[in-house]
This record gives sequence, C-alpha cells and structure tokens, in this order.
Amino acid sequence: MNNLIRAELLKLRTTRTFWWSVGAALTFVPLSIALAIAKIGTPDGTSLDSVEGFRNVIAAASSGGMLVLLIGIMVMAGEFRFNTITSTFLITPERKRVVAAKLAASSLVGIAIAAVSSSLTLAIALPWLASRHVDVASHSTDIVIVLLGGIAATAISGMVGVGVGSLVTNQTLAVAVTLTWLLLVEAMVVSFAPGLGRWLPGGAAGAMSGAATYSNLLPVGAAALLFAGYGLAFAAAGSRFVLRRDIT
Amino acid sequence: MAAIEIQGLSKRFGEITAVDDLSFSTREGAVTGFLGPNGAGKTTTLRMLLGLVTPTEGTATVDGRPYAELADPTRHVGAVLESTSFHPGRRARQHLRVLATAAGLPLERVDEVLDEVGLAEAGDRRVKGFSLGMRQRLGLASALLGAPNFLILDEPTNGLDPEGVHWLRQYLRSFADRGGSVLVSSHLLAEVAQTVDDVVIIANGRFVIQSSLSDLAQPSQSGVRVRTPHAETLRAALTAEGIAAELVAADVVMAFETTAEAVGLAAAGAAAVIYEMTVERFNLEELFLELTTSEGALR
Repeated sequence: MNNLIRAELLKLRTTRTFWWSVGAALTFVPLSIALAIAKIGTPDGTSLDSVEGFRNVIAAASSGGMLVLLIGIMVMAGEFRFNTITSTFLITPERKRVVAAKLAASSLVGIAIAAVSSSLTLAIALPWLASRHVDVASHSTDIVIVLLGGIAATAISGMVGVGVGSLVTNQTLAVAVTLTWLLLVEAMVVSFAPGLGRWLPGGAAGAMSGAATYSNLLPVGAAALLFAGYGLAFAAAGSRFVLRRDIT
Repeated sequence: MAAIEIQGLSKRFGEITAVDDLSFSTREGAVTGFLGPNGAGKTTTLRMLLGLVTPTEGTATVDGRPYAELADPTRHVGAVLESTSFHPGRRARQHLRVLATAAGLPLERVDEVLDEVGLAEAGDRRVKGFSLGMRQRLGLASALLGAPNFLILDEPTNGLDPEGVHWLRQYLRSFADRGGSVLVSSHLLAEVAQTVDDVVIIANGRFVIQSSLSDLAQPSQSGVRVRTPHAETLRAALTAEGIAAELVAADVVMAFETTAEAVGLAAAGAAAVIYEMTVERFNLEELFLELTTSEGALR
C-alpha cells in the first residue's frame, strides 16, 4: 500500500499542473488575509478582535481547499484523460487498493498544503492583526480551532475530489461541474436559503475552517462530521463506479 | 502447460457482441500471432485477458491464473496496449519510475529497460515530444520493468517506421528464444508472418482457425465454401456440430476442415437453402486476405 501511495505522490510531483495548483493555493493565503482584514476592519463590519472576526482572518489557512479538491479530481480523472489508468490497473489489478492509495495521497497533499498555508497565515496575519490593535494572545484557542479545522477540511477536500473524479472521469467536465457548484450554485443557495446552505458541502467545509461568514452556520464539530460524511459518500460512490468500469 | 488459455470467452457491450464464445490456447516459449480484421474483437479479448474488461462469460488465464489473481502481475506479464497512455508532460524516466514505484520494483530497472529498448538518450525528455515509434518503445520498456516471462502486445507495429518494425520483430524473436511467451495482435498477416511460430485467427469476435506458421502457406487446409441466403443460420448450425465456420461475406459461409457431406447434413438440419457448395483447398494467407477484405468480415 505504501508503494502505491508513494507512486501516486510521484505522479503528482512529476506534473506541472500540480505545482501550479500548489503555487496558486499558497498565493491565496496573503490575498485572503488582506481581503478579510479589509472587509472586517470597516467601521460597520465585525470587529477584528471579536471571535468571528479573528477566526475569519485566520481561516486564510484553508484557502487552498478548493485547489486541493481540484488536485483530487486530477489524481483520478487525469488518469482517464491520458489513459494512464490502463497501466495503473495493470500493475495493481485490485482496483480497491488503487482508489485507497489515491484517497490517501490526495488527503496527504491536502494536509501538507494546509500545514504550509497555516504557517504562512500565522507569519502574515498575526503581526498584521497586532498592528491593528488586536490582542492576539487572547485568541490562542481560536487559532488552534481554526487551523485544525482547516487542515482537516482540506484533507477531506482531497477525498471529495477523488470521489468526484471517479464519478465524472472526464477531467474538464469534473472541474467545470465542481467550480460551478461551489462558486455559483452554493453561493446562490446561501443567499436565497441560508438555512439550507449550511448543510451543503461548501457550507460545511466553510464552517469547519472558519472561512464562511454568513450566519446560521453549523457548529464546528457538527460541520466537521457532516463534511467528513460528504467525503466518505463521494469516495464510496466514486470507487463503486471505478471498480466496475471496463477500461477500453 | 498452456501459456495463455482462453475458454468460452464472450463480451457484449449492450447490443454489440464484441467477442463471441472464443476459445484457444498458446504454447509456452512461442510467439503467437493473434490475427483478425479491424473490429474482430482482438483488443477486447486482450483487455479481458488482462483484467481491464470484465467478460460477460468465460475465462482467460495467463500462466494458469486469471491476470487479476497473479501475485505481482508485472513480474509475470508485460503488456503493451496502446501508444497513447502516457502523461505528455512527464519525462520518460519519470513515467517508468512511477510504474516501478507502484509495482515495488527496484528503480535501477528504469535505466536497464530504457537501455534495452534503445531510449537511454531520451530518458529525460518529455513524452510530449516523442514520435509514435518512441512511444511504442517506451510502452515496451514499461512492460519489461518487471522482467516478465509473458509479453502481450496489441498492434505494436501501428505507426512504426520500417526500421522500428524490424527492431521489434527481432526483439520479440529473441524474447521467445530466451524462453518467453509472446501474444501479439495484428490486422496485417505480413507484419507478423516473419516473427510468429503460431497464428490464431478470429473474425467477428469468433474463433476461425489456429495453425503453426509452417502450415500457414501450404495449401493443406481444406474447407467447404457455401453460398446461402441463410448464412448466419448455417454458421450457427455448423458451430453447434463442432465444425469451425465463419462468414466471409454476407451470403457466404466458409466451413473448415470438414467434408461436403457434413456441411450438407448440417444445412438440411438447419433448413438452410444452399445455392452453391464448393470443396476448396486453401492456405491460411488466402483465407486471412479474404476475411480482411470481404464485407462479411466487416459486417
């Protein structure tokens, strides 16, 4: 199993799209911090020193979540795009192990990106907030909750991506559907029916990582359970499909 | 023991029957040509043999086991299926390292196989810039990573220049001479005739005939050619009697290694009208040409 996970990570490291995605994910960190501080710091916004305000700034640590989801899609659908799935399944005819390795590798990538993003966030956001007269020391519990939630959410995003990429093996279509869902459909549901939005994958991930700002969110623990449930559901549905599929 | 054994293998994709009750086996230490017109079901058969496609019915084994049940399949069987299954942005050496890592093979094998297929110089180039011939060589290098005893190749000469074809023939020959078993598919008899020991011919997903190369050109095969409006009925009736038969045109059935009497009896039993019946002696080359050029085979 270790060999398969290492092979999946090597597949990623040897493609340029992966490094572009990592670069983009890390670039989002300072941008998210700047945006959050600009938005919250306005006179009628939430105070930066409030729990919500502070968490929302630190949530920049998980701003790469969507890109990790796309990486997860690439890990599975990319193999179908370039037909490399043939040699993958020739080497490991027990397809369950391939799917498991892809889920593990994508989660590991998620954890790694979220960990680097977390350090970046602390390095940038804490001095910035201190300069805005926020008592950083009093928020240490918030930091821990947001960073752990963000790392877990990003890891699960990788699993969701592998699941989506297994269900929709056309990579371009899978990416288009995912982006449309997260940026358009969920955003619309959230504006028109916020009570419903918190139950959707993006709402759950946002509540878990502190990134979502609308009211009515699930508590962090419940959101974590729900998003993990989404991850498992997508992974299970996707693997059922890939396990049976004829590779022609 | 048979190197490869196919038994009662069928595959239906919805309405289309790609492979129909196919059975044959190949010898160890021999190069077997797996021949048939385009669309005869060769690729589907090979993919079922390799566990990539699930058969509707029947079994296929390599080295006595279904491929999926081989422990460490890459150390037993190497397969070259298509020239397009590479990530274009990956370098040749990286591609092989990925495969070797997944298969748990030592990474030194990567340079060894690159050398073996003559790609040592191109190892650090991206596959994107490879010619079709180089891709075929890289495909073969991937198949050789586990130092297998069995090689299965699907139309490996497609897109190769004459020099590449020559190189591949010699490679397969020496692989078999060292004790390996090879199954190589082609829609062109001439492409493999110089390399193979045996041939298996299929058409319309069905077994037609198996022969050694030495019998290939000799007009020793006899058969009965029948013109009938009930060609498919007659073919099925003959097959049920254990007589190999194939449609060579929409209204022409060819029955192999049998007599006019046996064919006549089968036709009467199936109530098939016969317009014309001829006993023929033919060689496999003529038969193959007929199968690959007639409409019946491309139906």
